[in-house]
This record gives sequence, structure tokens and C-alpha cells, in this order.
Amino acid sequence: MKVPLNWLREYVEFDDDVQGLADKLTFSGIEVEGIARVRDGLEGVIVGEVTEVKDHPGADRLKICMVNDGREIVQVVCGAPNVKEGDRAAFAPVGAKLPVGIKIKKAKVRGEESFGMLCAEDELGLSDDHSGLFLVDPETPAGARINDVIGEPDDVLDLEITWNRSDCLSILGIAREVAALYGTDLRLPDAELCESESRCTEKVSVEVRSYEACPRYTARYLSGVEVGQSPGWMKARLAACGIRPINNIVDITNYVLLETGHPLHAFDYTQVKDGGIIVRYAEEKEKITTLDGAERELDDRILVIADSDKPLAVAGVMGGAGSEIGDTTSRVLLESATFAAPGIHRTVSKLGLTSESSHRFERGVDFDWVDFASRRAAKLMAELAGAEVSVGVVDRHEGPPQARVVDLSVKTVSDVMGIEVHREDCASILSSLQFSVFETDIGFSVTVPSFRGDVTIEADLIEEIARMKGLDAIPAAMPGCHAVGTVDDQRSLRREEIRDQLIGLGLTETVNYSFLSKKLSEMLPDQPGVPLPNPVSADYSVMRGSLAPQMVDMLGRNLSHQNHDCACFEIGKVFSSGRGGISEGERICVGLIGHAGRYALDRVSKTKDEEVFLWGKGILEALIAINGRSMDLEPFSASLLKQGACARVMIDGAPRGWIGVLSDAARKEYRMIEPAVVGEIDLEAVIESPVREAGIDQIPVFPAISRDIAIVVSEDVAHGDILEAVQGIKCPELTRIELFDIFRGGGTGDGRKSMAYSFTFQASDRTLTDDEANGFRDRLRDGIVSKLNAEIREG
Amino acid sequence: MTPDDIRKSTETAVAEIAAATDSDSLECLRIKYLGKKGMLPLVMKALGSAERSQKAEIGKLANEFKVRVGDAVKARTAALSQGAQGNGIDYTLPGNWKSFGLKHPIYRVISDSIKIFSRIGFSVAEGPDIETAYHNFEALNTPAHHPSLDGQDTFWFDEKTLLRTQTSPVQIRVMESVKPPIRVITPGCCYRRDTTDATHSANFYQIEGLYVDERHVSIAELKGTITYFAQAMMGKDVQVRFRPHFFPFTEPSVEFDFSCHVCAGKGCRVCKQSGWIEISGAGIVDPRVFEKVGYDPAKVGGFAFGMGVERIAMIKYGIPDIRMLYENDLRFLGQFK
Repeated sequence: MKVPLNWLREYVEFDDDVQGLADKLTFSGIEVEGIARVRDGLEGVIVGEVTEVKDHPGADRLKICMVNDGREIVQVVCGAPNVKEGDRAAFAPVGAKLPVGIKIKKAKVRGEESFGMLCAEDELGLSDDHSGLFLVDPETPAGARINDVIGEPDDVLDLEITWNRSDCLSILGIAREVAALYGTDLRLPDAELCESESRCTEKVSVEVRSYEACPRYTARYLSGVEVGQSPGWMKARLAACGIRPINNIVDITNYVLLETGHPLHAFDYTQVKDGGIIVRYAEEKEKITTLDGAERELDDRILVIADSDKPLAVAGVMGGAGSEIGDTTSRVLLESATFAAPGIHRTVSKLGLTSESSHRFERGVDFDWVDFASRRAAKLMAELAGAEVSVGVVDRHEGPPQARVVDLSVKTVSDVMGIEVHREDCASILSSLQFSVFETDIGFSVTVPSFRGDVTIEADLIEEIARMKGLDAIPAAMPGCHAVGTVDDQRSLRREEIRDQLIGLGLTETVNYSFLSKKLSEMLPDQPGVPLPNPVSADYSVMRGSLAPQMVDMLGRNLSHQNHDCACFEIGKVFSSGRGGISEGERICVGLIGHAGRYALDRVSKTKDEEVFLWGKGILEALIAINGRSMDLEPFSASLLKQGACARVMIDGAPRGWIGVLSDAARKEYRMIEPAVVGEIDLEAVIESPVREAGIDQIPVFPAISRDIAIVVSEDVAHGDILEAVQGIKCPELTRIELFDIFRGGGTGDGRKSMAYSFTFQASDRTLTDDEANGFRDRLRDGIVSKLNAEIREG
Repeated sequence: MTPDDIRKSTETAVAEIAAATDSDSLECLRIKYLGKKGMLPLVMKALGSAERSQKAEIGKLANEFKVRVGDAVKARTAALSQGAQGNGIDYTLPGNWKSFGLKHPIYRVISDSIKIFSRIGFSVAEGPDIETAYHNFEALNTPAHHPSLDGQDTFWFDEKTLLRTQTSPVQIRVMESVKPPIRVITPGCCYRRDTTDATHSANFYQIEGLYVDERHVSIAELKGTITYFAQAMMGKDVQVRFRPHFFPFTEPSVEFDFSCHVCAGKGCRVCKQSGWIEISGAGIVDPRVFEKVGYDPAKVGGFAFGMGVERIAMIKYGIPDIRMLYENDLRFLGQFK
């Protein structure tokens, strides 16, 4: 909210500069987001009287004007469409500077001399309006300083008002805070009416059909109204607060809204049938054209102000175009009312329509201020629009709400703030904020003023005391330390450990959104995720069912950025919907492409499917082994993955994920020249700490001895087959089998390969002899030969 | 050996030693000339068997042999170990690592926060991303359709289910499951229907903290806790400033700023010349929240705070745009060493 300081000073005194005031407000809970200087730099600008307007001989859109600057008449070339004889407008004579950075010089415009510039609002820095000259009251003498007309330069505070403090959505509300902060008095504006003979009740009737929705409705009747422009000072204040001036009547309702925080509405009385106002719910599909020109369809939960024929306004939100104040309006029905916040909020959401009024009603307005605001506006209409105000007011309500009383313990104040706060401090702070305090044994019984609907419990009062005392006064103290181990967080800590393990395995962590596009989610058709009913955009329309699609996408994007070697992982949530609703799980995903798994000097040749697959497999194996579990692979297929280059990941015998080389189609889509491997496993499979019983295996005392065998087998015999064959041969002294070479060609023959193994033998009770080792080797060799149709490669 | 033999041998030995290309060949030369079965014993033997008239000369030469050859070995050993000459390894070649992994900045902040808070007794609590409206709003003293929520539009699945807009519902879940005292932090992913721009993201991370005890817990203790965190996370000289604010689930509520870690509060580009950086919100737990979880508000007190992980990462690491955190460009992630 915008607060011009000279307006504020009308209601409260404070001996401080603008920065000092801004700090005080910010540190008492009303954050000053900015300070703007307005109407500044206009020293040379005056009021000029346009005495003559001629066409410019050299340009259709320009005029030549004779302007009286109070001393002489000078010629000025002007491009404003609205310039006419008799106008008094802002005029910058030669030598004047404008706040937008222009210095006025004598000039020739299309051959015609020009001694100054007639200005629009934007050129004066008043607004961004460039539609025409900034015209002033025709009574203003030529040569008067423009600041005398629009007000002196001023500072405007831009405040962030938290939604609980609806009482601060006005200049007076802020003045009330300032008065409390500086210990000065609040001065209310004049709302004393000089009423005419006619009686309001003879002209206006009000029927409120729901006091729940409209707790109070008042109407005043004003006649003899002359609709015209508002005075410059009022227009300037409205503009400084971001409201566009329209005409004096509408401007006054807006002005009083800004001044008091209480929304008002002025109807053209002649458009209200019989002056009879009915506050009722709209009918289903009833229509109204609002002031913004839009036709809106209502429903039966939207409150309207109507006459006996038709709706006149959407209550508390916006008036209707039909009863708008126009140039010919002479009689006004002035509404000042309160509408219940939830209903207004619903209407605002339903119609997608907000206004300064709805903004305040949604947050709550003060029941007690309804009549004051009405009188204040009527007073201004009398002063500025020549209105005659009828005697009295039609005021409909079911009695004012009861004042709230809250008990306050002084000890609790000290305990919660963490510093000693005295009884007198509490009393003086609360009194300065217009709370009434009555002493009790423990502290006070506090009566909350009607404008502070946000204060309902003791904690609210403590906040008032804390913010006025200043939070800087509170020291930092460490809390006591006996609340350790509130919840079991092993799972969270284990997740961090696994994250560190993956980083240690050479993978860089990635973090993706939990949602992705529908197209991406279809990459794994069996894990479609959960569609969002109201997504922000098509790119983020599905809660992910797997981490893999974004991993593939991420690899592709990095390749396009010339990051050719990627080794990444993500730990994240996945979502699926089932009978029990939406469920969440956690996964680990890894993705590799390029030469990331090779030594720097070994990066010339292209990577092959098998190589990248084995990198990926190696990472999962290492991760699973570190976490005390075993991994096996089983046959698998998925459309994302290349047939024959993928596998299901079994952890401790259960299917827990998959790994594979991306299919040619996926590679092509992401322009991957080299093979990429992606794998995903359930975090659940490794997150539990491995159970490790106390005790360690004895470290062998006797030396080990090893023997190598090269076995030539058919291509379709897998390493796993050989291991299985070896395990079937009884040899307790065999402690380790290591594949150290695969060789094709030479003497191995077509469709056959040579696989070289190193077998390590060790006994716990003796040193094995060469003969014993040879015997074991021969036993293994013979077993393998007979089981796998193998040959032994000599040499 | 004649004196000439000794002279020649000395020169040969010194030259050979000086030419040794690695420590192995140097060691061979040392053994050849100075070893037990090497030349030195022969020289000493020649001294022993020398004529009286030649003893002085041979003694001098023998000593010279011993000293010069010994010095040559020492000098060459030193030279080789420095790799200054000869064909030592080229230690400027790339080291033999394959890839190294780095933690994502979001998780750097989360992991660091877990460690920082665990030192003062906070454990980690977690909750679901898909939350009930009750936990996300109602139990936090926030009606689900309230104007205060206009700034945080919600992803709804149905009337009762939503993507959590904050990690605060975990506060409720913890209080529903344990009795005070409580000391937890709750890192996690949150969602709001924000349009993504340089500072907003529809998917973001928060760290919530909750402290509850069976007494009044003070703003001073909240300030102490936040200050401890600020200094551990951003630097030991960082100060914390509180400003009154409003949140539905705390009363009193504050927003807090950290003094700028870049300029130490003097004013710079990072803090927009103010010396302070706005971080997040906190407050004393609203008694109505305690009522919702069945605690007696007269008997317990507590504080809560919530911080944006991305905000802290952006400030701490100087990241200008929140979207960079979710693009996973390795040229960006590779900088977090």
C-alpha cells in the first residue's frame, strides 16, 4: 500500500525523517518495501493559460498555441490532442527542467518557434499517462507554481501489509500506528455535516436480506451534485496511491477509502428504482455488467446490491455500469457497508475480479467506522461537488458486535519474549494501540478495539508488545538441550550416506522437478506416474513414476551443451496411483554416457554397449556391496532399453530395479552418438543399515597360492555359467576366482572365446604345496571341461 | 691397484654416477664402487699392501676416492629424487581417476543443515509430498480457502489431497506422533502453482524446524537457534535481525534477515546495499496449532521456522537464477567442488 507522507502528516505528528519513519514501521511489523519521491523536480513548471490555438502550417498533428505564463504571452508548439483555448495546463517555460530529464530550450518545431512546453502527466513524472495535457482548475491564475496546484514534493512509502492487519490498509490506520510508535496523538479528519432540510429516509429505503453476509448497510442521499473534475491536490494524492482519477464523486469515494480504509460506493440515485436498495443473493445465472465493462454471470452465493428490478452492484467488489456516476448525475445514493469476508473471497475467486474494495472486505473492515466514512465522504461531496446532504442516514444492522476481551499474564509476556517485561510497559504499549486495559492479579484484562479483528488470544497481545518493544531488544539465547532424539531419523541419515557413496563412486548428483511432461512420462509406459489435475504448464503435468525419463532427457540436454562425458545420479521420490490413493516411493537412478568411466589417455576409441553397461553395472554392484547386500542380474526387456543389453536388478534375491543400454530409438531421439546406460533401483532395497553381527572373520595365517587356467568355450557360454560350473565342483580351498582376460581369434576358432581365470587357493591350517595347488587346478579344469564343452588353452 | 688405477677409477666412478638415470642404476653403481664386494675394499686393500714410500700418496688417493665417490652418489641421489634431470616420470600427465562426483547445491544445503542442527540435538523428520489439506492448512490454523493463501496457489488432487505447499505439515505429523520435548528439522520438496522465473519455482525445497518444550519457549531462544544456524551455514560473523511479520501458525511471527556474508553488512551488490539479506520466517508456535494436535497450550510452548533451500543456496553460492538449480547442466554442477 502507498502512503504519501504529507497526507499522513495531516493526521499525526512525528519528529523524524522519512528513513527513520520507514525503519520504525519495518521493525514494528509494517514492512516498508520502498520509498519513492513524487512531484519532485518541478520547480520551474508553472500554470500556463492557453489563449489561442492555431493549426501548425507544417504538421497536421501539431498546434501552435499562445500561452500566457503570467507575465507575457509566448508561442508554443504543442502535440496534445486535447489542447483548446482557455485551457490552463502545466507549462514548462524555457529554462525549466522536467523530472524526466528534459531541459526546455527555445526550439524550432517544423519551422515554427516554440518557447516552452505544455506538459502531459508523464512528462511531469506524475503518472505514465501521455494521452493529453495535464489540465488544472480553470480558476488557477496563470504563472502559479505547479506545485501550488498539485502539492509540494513528497515521499511515498510503499508498505507491505500482512493480511491480518486490515486495519492498516488506510492512511489513518498507518497514522494510528505512527502515533503509537512516536507517542503522539491521532487527529481524525473533519466529518461534521451541514445537513439540508430534506430527510434521507424519505428518499432511500434499505432492505438487508442476510445480516450474516451484510452485517451493516448505510445509505445517504445527496442532491444538487455537480459532477466534474476533482481538485488537483486530490488527483495528485490518488495518483500517488496508484488510483486513476475519474470524477469528483468517484474520486471522493476512493479518497475516503484510502483515508479511512472503508470502501464506499456511490450510485446514481435516478438509476435506483424508488431509491429502494435490496441487499440479496443473486439468482442463478443472473447477469450484471460491471464498471469495467464486462458482463458477468452470477450465482446464488454471490451477494448483490439491487433494486426491485435488477442488480446494481456486486456487493463489496464492484459497481454496475448501469448505476455509474456520470456527467449528468445530480443525485447520489452513497453506500457505506460491511460485507462478510468469506463471501467476498468466494465472489472474488468465482468472478476472477478484485478491487480496492474487495481487497479490504476480504480482510475485514471495522463495523464502527461505517458511518464515519460515509459522513466524511458526504462532507467532501458537499465541499467539492456542491452536494446538499439530506438529514440522517438509513442504517441497517442487528447491533454492533461485542467487544472482545482477552486476558494477559505479564509473566507469560516475559517468558515468551525471553526478557523481563514490566507491567507498566505492557499497559502503556497496549494503551498506545488503543486497547483498553484493566488490571488483574496476573496482568490485565484487555479490551480489543473494534478495528483489530486479528487480535483474539493472549499470543496476539504478546505479539503487539513484542513488536512495539522491538525484537532487537531481545537477546539471542540457546535453548535448553534435553530434547534429543525426538524421532528416529536413521532413514534420513542413511539416505545422506548413500548420496555420499554415489558421489564417492564418481557420480554427480542431479535434482529434477517431481513433475514432468506427459510425453516424457510415457517413456516408461508401465510407470506412468500420476497426472496433476491442475498443472501450471504442459511441461509439468505429471507427477513422475520413475526418475529415468528425466535422467535420459538430462543426458540428452548435456550432450547438446557439449558435455560429452556424463556420470550422474539422482535420489528422489516417485509417485503412483492405486486403489489406496496415491503412493510415494523413493528411487536411485544412475545415468552414464561417453568416456566418463575411462582413464584420460584412453578416450580415443568409441565406447561400446558392453563397456557402458558394465560401468553402470559396476556402480550398482559397488553401491549394493558397500551397503552389505548382494546383486544379481536377470533377463529383462523394456521398450526404452536395447534388447539384449539390459537386465533386471535383483538385490538379495528380489527384483528391485533394472539397468540397460538405451534403445536405438531413444538414442536417436536424443541425438546420442555413443551408447548411454541408465539404471534405476528402489532406495528401499538399500536404505536399511546392513545388519552386521559382532565378530570378524579370522585373517588367514597361511599363504595363498594361485593357478591360472584359460578356458576356450562357445560364445554363448557366459561368465556366469563358468562361475556356476566352478561352484558345483567341490574344492573348499578355493577362495577366489578372478576373470582376467577374454580373447577371441587366434587359435580359439569361430564362435568361440578364450576366458582366462586366476584361481586362488588357501587353507586355514597349513601352507598348501605346489602339488596340492596343481591338483585343485586339475580338478577344476576337468570339471569345467566336462560341464561346458570347453577346451583348455595351453601356453 | 696402482695410484694411477685409483685416480682413473675415481674419475670413472664419478662420471658414471653423475650419468645414472634412475635410482636403481645409481644403487648398482653405489654397490659397484662403495659396496662390501665393490671397489672401495680393493682400494683399501691396495693401501694396506702398499710400499711404505707410496703409503702417503695412496692413502690420500684412497681417501679422495671414498669422499668423491660418496659425494657423487649423494649428489646424484638428491638430483634424481628432485626429478630435475634424467627421464623421471612426467608428473604433469593426467592423474588416473575416471570421474569424480559432486553433490547438488540443493543437497549441499540440506546435508549441511542436517549436520548443523544435529549438533544441537535436532533429529530429521520427514513427511509425504502428497499431503492432506488438514495437515497442510487446517491444523496449521489456516483455512484452506483463505486470502492469505493467494500467494501460494495449491496443486489439488481432490478436496482433501494436495501437494504440500510447505514442509510445515510435518510439524503436525511429528506432534501427532510424539509428546514434547521436540526438536526436529524437516527438509523436503514443496509445490506451489507459481510461474517459474528467476526467483520462483513451482517445485522447491524447504527446511522446517520445530522446537517444543513443556514450558514457555521464548523469542530469545528462537533468535539464538537461528543465529547459531546462520553462523554455521554462512560464516561466523553473520548476524541475525528479526522483523515482526505474520504467519497463521505462529504468534508472534517474525521474518529474519542475515547480515550480508559478502560485505559483512557494509552494503554491496549481493545485499542490494542494505547490508542485510532477507531469508525467511519463524515464530512462536500459535496455541491453536497445539490445540489441533491435542497438546495443552497452557503447558507447552515452542518455536518454528522455515527456510527456502534454494534461497540459501543462491545466496551462499552466488547463483543468480533459481532455474539453474533444476537444469542439471554439468557445466553448472561441475562448479560445486
